[in-house]
Amino acid sequence: MPGFEYLLDALTPLNILLALGGVIAGTVIGSLPGLTATMAVAVLVPVTFSMAPASALILMGAIYTGAIYGGAYAAILLNTPGTPSAIATTFDGFPMAKRGDGDLAVTLACLASVSGGLVGAAFLLALAPPLATVALAFGPVEYFWLAVFGLTLISALSEGNLLKGLIGACFGLLLSGVGVAEISADVRFTFGSQVLLGGIETVSALIGLYCVPVLIDLVATPDRHLKVTHAPRGFRLAEALTISWRHKWNLLRSSVIGTLVGILPGAGGSIAGLVAYSEARRVSRRREHFGQGEPEGVQATESANNATVGGGFIPTLVLGIPGTPPDAVILGALLIQGVRTGPNLFTEEGSIVYTFIYGLFLATILMLPAGLVIGRYAYKTIVTVPKAMLVPTVAFMTLIGTYSIRNSVSDVIIMITLGVVGWILNRVGFSPSPIVLGLILGRIAEQGFVQAWIIGAATENLTGMFFGRPISLGIIAFIALSLFYPMVRARWVGRRRKIDAD
Amino acid sequence: MRTEAVPGAGGRDLGGMVACALFILLAVVALWDTTSMTDSDSYVFPRTVALAMIVFCLAYVGWQLLWPRSAEAGTATAGSTPRRVGLVLAMLGAAALMPWLGFVICGVVAFGSITVLAMYDTWTPRRLLVYPLVGMAVVVGFYFLFAELLLVPLPLGTVFE
Repeated sequence: MPGFEYLLDALTPLNILLALGGVIAGTVIGSLPGLTATMAVAVLVPVTFSMAPASALILMGAIYTGAIYGGAYAAILLNTPGTPSAIATTFDGFPMAKRGDGDLAVTLACLASVSGGLVGAAFLLALAPPLATVALAFGPVEYFWLAVFGLTLISALSEGNLLKGLIGACFGLLLSGVGVAEISADVRFTFGSQVLLGGIETVSALIGLYCVPVLIDLVATPDRHLKVTHAPRGFRLAEALTISWRHKWNLLRSSVIGTLVGILPGAGGSIAGLVAYSEARRVSRRREHFGQGEPEGVQATESANNATVGGGFIPTLVLGIPGTPPDAVILGALLIQGVRTGPNLFTEEGSIVYTFIYGLFLATILMLPAGLVIGRYAYKTIVTVPKAMLVPTVAFMTLIGTYSIRNSVSDVIIMITLGVVGWILNRVGFSPSPIVLGLILGRIAEQGFVQAWIIGAATENLTGMFFGRPISLGIIAFIALSLFYPMVRARWVGRRRKIDAD
Repeated sequence: MRTEAVPGAGGRDLGGMVACALFILLAVVALWDTTSMTDSDSYVFPRTVALAMIVFCLAYVGWQLLWPRSAEAGTATAGSTPRRVGLVLAMLGAAALMPWLGFVICGVVAFGSITVLAMYDTWTPRRLLVYPLVGMAVVVGFYFLFAELLLVPLPLGTVFE
């Protein structure tokens, strides 16, 4: 194993304390709607200037890891993904919580996050330089198709409503165009309103489309938010471990998917969970239970999204291309510390990089006890707090969380408006997930589309630009598969049943 | 991930079809807005998306007309509509008045209003004492976390300046 001697450097009491503190802080921050890992890492950057570079990196990496896992709490217990990468966690996590298995879902999410985090860190440790070339192989058109792939995946996951999913994705893409255009700086879809000039902030939209409809329904009835079981069941760790062991290949596959997709800057985090979820459902014997509270779904998403932490660090450290916003902040902190990223980083600055990677392992392992305890507390709080306290507290958190992203009251009003629109659309069968993902991936899709369009037009080969590159063709094949596989399979199963009946 | 839809007359998804009509209208408005843009970089993508949205909406409506499919029954009318509207108004009111009245006052008022809206149990003397205290603690606690620790400039209110 490379740089094994640096393991001992990572295991100093100070580093262990920083990793544990970082994981706890990150988990708590990630669980609050509106508070993001980026914000937490950015606030801590000045504090890390006085630390040794490796210790500073360990602290920031631990916060990042914890925040990604913390996003699962809100997804499972409130049906509100704390981060975009936890969108798919709501599909099965919330139904599990609704039927009284929220404690099991939280423990499963913790185990899956730890597994994913360890696999991601292992790839970072062993294969970072060769894997970084994957990120370079993706040009604008590949990013465009990747965004389309993410959108078709989530549309296909909107059960029985593929067309509605695609319409929702288009709605999200149009919403992403509000404000100043990414490439040409034209003002679009503002209709003269200054409020819309800044565009629609994605985390605000995420909070509005997921959390506000839940609140609107919560306040309307005296029913409890989640089913309460009075028998004390502890962490349900043994049960969760049994399920995790039974579906170990799901965990491993989802973690590898998360790492590989996480390598792609920008798009990785949002898409990884969806790809892993879709793949888990495709190969599962219980695929018809997905979306109704299937533990495999929670495992797939949570292992994949935590694996993106290690995956995202690969292009950040090897190429200097940050995979996610927290990676960008950490990259900035690295540069201030005098560390120059690049292909030679692993040889020239080995002591820092390997100590950091082992620190990431350490933080991920410490996430197990910390995550279990915090998860248990979060679950108990949500199920025992009276509705008259839960609803105003969550509503208040959405207000302050949204405001704090850009210090903007307009964002809060847009968030509430989108929440009402999302509630109405949900009543007529439009899921919020494709809309939110359209909004998140809109900028990546547009940038890729327009750049490819310009290159194609300049070379007078638009068709070849969009449909002639090998990686693009591969992604297009996956898009077709995600759109048509469920239909083909349903027809095939129907025909098989008919033959068997005859 | 299941979505709920309100079944329409004749087994058709009437709500979905109305939503599709509104989405088509939205796409047409978006297309119209792009006519004011001079740079093709600005309009090529939104136009493509708007056209795709129109195609998908027409396909859905056509599908429903040709092969009517009863949608899943939803819970659209279950529960109290006045409480739902009250929640939205309380949140919007707090957001709109925040620049004038400041974060803490708007937060406390919104918290109190929503507590009343979400209250289904009887108001006992203990609840009358504890709930407002908890509300104050939550608002002030979050104010301290965001304003003092995370250095978010929360509005103080122009009325009090």
